[in-house]
Amino acid sequence: MSSESNRKIYSFTRLYVLPLPAEALSTLSGFGVAVDTGKVIFLNSLKVNIICSVFLNLLVMGRKIKIILAVIVLTVVSCKDDKVEDPIPEIKYVRLTMQPVFGSSELSLNDTITTAEGYKVQFTDLKCYFSSLKNGSNELTQSALFDYASRGIEVFKVPGDPAKFASLTGFLGVDPNYNHDDPSAFPNNSPLNIMNANDMHWDWNPGYIFIKVEAKVDTNPDAITVLDHFVNFHIGTDQFLQNLSFSGLNWSDNGSGVYTAPLRLDLEKFLQNGAQIIDLKTEYTSHTMSGQELLSEKVIQNFATAISVY
Amino acid sequence: MKYLFFIFVSVVIFLSCKKDKVGFTPTPYELNIPSHFPDMIIPEDNPMTVEGVELGRKLFYEERLSRDNTMSCANCHSPSASFSDPSQFSVGIDGIPGTRNSMALINLGWQNFFFWDGRAKTLEDQILEPIPNPIEMHQEWKDAVAKLNSDKTYRNMFFKAFGQEGIDSLKVSKAIAQFLRTMISGSSKYDVMYKYENSLPLNSIEQSVYASVTAEEWAGYDLFKSLNGADCFHCHNGPLMQVQKFSNNGLDATFIDHGRNGVTGNPADDGKFKVPTLRNIALSGPYMHDGRFNTLEEVIEHYSSGIQMSSTIDPMIEFASQGGVQLDAFEKDLLKKFLQTLTDYDFITNPDFQDPD
Repeated sequence: MSSESNRKIYSFTRLYVLPLPAEALSTLSGFGVAVDTGKVIFLNSLKVNIICSVFLNLLVMGRKIKIILAVIVLTVVSCKDDKVEDPIPEIKYVRLTMQPVFGSSELSLNDTITTAEGYKVQFTDLKCYFSSLKNGSNELTQSALFDYASRGIEVFKVPGDPAKFASLTGFLGVDPNYNHDDPSAFPNNSPLNIMNANDMHWDWNPGYIFIKVEAKVDTNPDAITVLDHFVNFHIGTDQFLQNLSFSGLNWSDNGSGVYTAPLRLDLEKFLQNGAQIIDLKTEYTSHTMSGQELLSEKVIQNFATAISVY
Repeated sequence: MKYLFFIFVSVVIFLSCKKDKVGFTPTPYELNIPSHFPDMIIPEDNPMTVEGVELGRKLFYEERLSRDNTMSCANCHSPSASFSDPSQFSVGIDGIPGTRNSMALINLGWQNFFFWDGRAKTLEDQILEPIPNPIEMHQEWKDAVAKLNSDKTYRNMFFKAFGQEGIDSLKVSKAIAQFLRTMISGSSKYDVMYKYENSLPLNSIEQSVYASVTAEEWAGYDLFKSLNGADCFHCHNGPLMQVQKFSNNGLDATFIDHGRNGVTGNPADDGKFKVPTLRNIALSGPYMHDGRFNTLEEVIEHYSSGIQMSSTIDPMIEFASQGGVQLDAFEKDLLKKFLQTLTDYDFITNPDFQDPD
């Protein structure tokens, strides 16, 4: 070992004795302290320790030995890296969508459609709550809010194994077990939290609005379109809760662990559910108030029937 | 070599000591959120600290943020007017009036968008606008920042709040946003009525407030949320007394100010404006986006008989085709009495919201 080499080692190792800021020490994990002997003794990381020791000693060794040792050490370290990787289990998400349609055509808000009666209709808002969705004992989600204007067709996306949810049961509306709870007390990410419910909650304890259908209508079947007739259906309260059941859900793999199953909401069927017809000229508003029970029931029954697997 | 080494070590030690001495030990700020309110979502990049709130409060009242050092945020958001402007239009430092009424600053931590047209998506973004606005404080940010930088007190306060030397517009907006998020109103008579209606427990003070609610105030509340009464609840309900949306509330048949449409370009948004809270409504006149109504009586009359039809009118105004909900004089008086229950005196007199200097 020459005196020149000794000096090199000495100054190099002393450099690491300097008081480094905490941030630097954490960044240089394993490089914190070295000593005059040329051996690194700070053992935060075994791998780093080996590398430092070898390179410090290489400075004073013969050229051939240097190369052989370097190759051996690097090979061992590389092999170790490959060996320690464990596979990360994939987290699966199930995502339910609901596409509004009118008959066979997909429907966007403010599209103008013509009903069987010849009325021209623009739907301006479509929202609804689903709750207590599960398949037997496999619970999927407490609640979900469909809000076509703000969130598009996505009803929910939650962690879950699609294999367990080929069928789903639940409610259209909010389960009475929590329909009347304090809307501010739900977790921030819950669709039932008042900040997410927004205008889907009545604040005098009847609870949540289960479905909201708003539209503008021209009830004069002529060539001129004047949409000056407003439709407002805001249906809620426990008595109008509807059971839902879907089978044969097809969860398609969208990649990244996300599996999507589509529903559709057929607004043609909503207006004409067999013999149960909603005539928008005369049946255009219900806020589930006293005296509006018959229309409220028809509206939410038709809405539930209009939802099916797409 | 040895001298060099000692010099290097000394410099490092000196720098380390200096940093330790100034210190950046932010104190988390505990928001006083009423029990019937939802959580306030705080942006991850702007956590609430005592130091940040203190700085934001000072900045809110800082007149040097305007070019001629005469106007602070508080000029258009006066504490005595529930942090709004009693003038129809606020006038900037050059004597130029704006075109919209100054909005009351209440419960901003729960808003999803800001300004009447919702063009700012965050409180921090909103705060960046008035200072360089030519019809408001009319000062470039670089000049405002230079003024603050020349003040040692501010330099220290910014360091204590953000742990970094240097002042910039983002730090100013973050600090003011922190202060504004503390401005929570949730202790009016209405809050007790709301909690009672929702079967939420009342403490002893609230029990006594509840006992003081008059029959007329309850009747006004019934009208407020009645479809066949005043029908106000579609846009104004819940602990915040508003829903987060834009609405054309029938002020005009055609529009000079196109509101939300100016932001989105969507014809369906023509004439729509942010639905404001009704909290402290009795204190925050004049009313509407253009401050056209001076009194609550005028507002009530508008919804009773002054609704103008247009293609984008809010369909929730169900009696629009008849001009409004057609309240009689007695009902109008009841409704006004209920609206007055929304006044939160603790809020407007809270010393923590006043000018610190």
